[in-house]
Amino acid sequence: MAKWGMVIDLDKCTGCQACTTACAMENSTLPGETWQDVLFYHEGEYPNAQMKWLPRPCMQCESPSCVHVCPTRATYKDEEAGGIVFVDWNKCIGCKYCMIACPYGVRFYVDEKPLLEPDLREIFPGENQQLWSPPYQGPDEDWSKGIGVQPPGVVSKCTFCHHKVSKAPEGTVDLDEDNPAVKEYVPACVRTCAPKARYFGDLDEPTSQVNQLIGDKHGVRLKDHTGNKPQVYYLGAGAGVPAFQPSDKGDKS
Amino acid sequence: MNENNIMKGKAGSGLLVISGVVFLASLIFAIIQLSSQGHASFNTSSNLPWGQPIATYLYFALASSGLGLLASLPLVFGFKQYYPVAKRCIFLAFIILISGMLVLALELGNVFRMLWAIPLNFQTQSAMFWMGIFYALDLLFLLWKFRKMESGEWDSKTSKQVGIASFILVLLASGNLALIFGMMSMRPFWFDALLPIYFYFTAVTSGMAALVFFAYLAYGFKRENMSQPMQDLMTGALPKLFAALIGGTLLFIAVRAITGLYTNNPEISLVWTDYLFASPLYHLSLWVGLLLPFIIMLKSSLRNQLNMQVLASVLVFLGLFAERFYFVIGGQVVPLFKGTWYPDLLTYTPSATEWALSIMGWSLAFLLYVLGEKFFNLSAMPDAITNTAGNQQAAAS
Repeated sequence: MAKWGMVIDLDKCTGCQACTTACAMENSTLPGETWQDVLFYHEGEYPNAQMKWLPRPCMQCESPSCVHVCPTRATYKDEEAGGIVFVDWNKCIGCKYCMIACPYGVRFYVDEKPLLEPDLREIFPGENQQLWSPPYQGPDEDWSKGIGVQPPGVVSKCTFCHHKVSKAPEGTVDLDEDNPAVKEYVPACVRTCAPKARYFGDLDEPTSQVNQLIGDKHGVRLKDHTGNKPQVYYLGAGAGVPAFQPSDKGDKS
Repeated sequence: MNENNIMKGKAGSGLLVISGVVFLASLIFAIIQLSSQGHASFNTSSNLPWGQPIATYLYFALASSGLGLLASLPLVFGFKQYYPVAKRCIFLAFIILISGMLVLALELGNVFRMLWAIPLNFQTQSAMFWMGIFYALDLLFLLWKFRKMESGEWDSKTSKQVGIASFILVLLASGNLALIFGMMSMRPFWFDALLPIYFYFTAVTSGMAALVFFAYLAYGFKRENMSQPMQDLMTGALPKLFAALIGGTLLFIAVRAITGLYTNNPEISLVWTDYLFASPLYHLSLWVGLLLPFIIMLKSSLRNQLNMQVLASVLVFLGLFAERFYFVIGGQVVPLFKGTWYPDLLTYTPSATEWALSIMGWSLAFLLYVLGEKFFNLSAMPDAITNTAGNQQAAAS
């Protein structure tokens, strides 16, 4: 079985948030439930101030701390599915411990105050145990993997578009949107990326494009000191997370 | 001396009615809010997922463990002068844990699913799995020990074994509860191998505060209504231990604050400078909720006065509640990997529903306490202790 990995080239990324939008459309997520987001960071001050941005899906860690803490095994790493970390909505008790334990802040509990008004959950009230029922929903639904629109009281997260990726022909190494044979199986964020900053493929296959890029272009993993070992790698300058600094506490020296 | 217990009379019935009304009102309010708005009625968010209900649960669970540890002084370690409060400690530990568990239940997204999903999936890697196991067993052994005491079986082999098992479970449960926070290296404010020790210490301190308050409440805040061994305890070993416990708690907070302020790691130091020490309420809880009662209990002229002991217990009660709140929230105020979407420390104020859950927990504890005082003799002691006291009194008169 493949071990799916993503490579994001920050020298190509323009921070346009098309990936974020595509993800929200593909997975029917609510505003604020950003399974995929582009984070912006500013670092330093004039004359060397920088702005950097980091597209951020779930890192699908090799050693996921969210999985270790889940008291019901609702969140689990599925090696059969390419090492994707899923949430089984039939088992999740909504204790939110995984959200505490995820160093990357990529888990969402949308049974909370709406980020935007009007509240979409009131406009499209939930049916069939869904938290909300938007008029357009993807045809794929699998609550045991956290795919579809979730019921209330559970945690949701990026699934690496498993509902698409899993339909790729056996033995597929690179899920490249430029290849007509596999483009339908490419995760939404990868497929929509206009500057082609994202690559998706098999980390277990030495010849895969993702492995070549990581090796040739010095791919790094974010917050590597946490030991979670993400399956998402970053290329290019600016692949690092500045230390937290409140906005009113800039370097005044 | 049991006839002097005012909880058995009209005062107790009055308190029962008041706490019952408050309990029902807060429970109904919380359930209406939760069923109409879900957890959107909380002020928590995906960025700060654990709020005041978790802090309340933590407070209750640790106060219960603290009372369990206090009960072990006579029941496990043979400090006989603590026998007069042993049964009340075990009872309070039981009901306070029940109250905490109810608050936690209403905080969860799917509470009934928890009942089968935790035991059946047996995720031994999760500290929260062990929390479920240890606190469930803790509850069971507290009940078992209480039944042994109720049947007058203080010193039988089984009773002693149950007492020792209960003590070990209390240590496991509260120590493991600390590790739920202490093992989270991605939350540096909590990450601390010695957090279980901090939790043990503060647990006993909050347990002691509860014990002093509820013991005096049972006797209408009149020491002369208490039995002689209990009066001796309340003017002897207990207030000194109370002083030592508050002092130890302050020491723990001081070393956590010093290391936190010293470090360059902004995920720890900023929590101290920009959240905790920037909050007037935190200062109030620290200086008035802990330091003032410590000074009161330290002074030999004050620590044996009944009103000073009650004042200290109420202050420590509130001070440690705030301490738990700031501990839980403090670990989450630095936004994790959010960039400039969240440029400052996260802010959190509990919502009306979250307050309702806390009030519900408190009122349930009072309700069950009065019922306990009414239906059981919580001041019961082994016959040997009662007889010794009786003989001493007879000799004195």
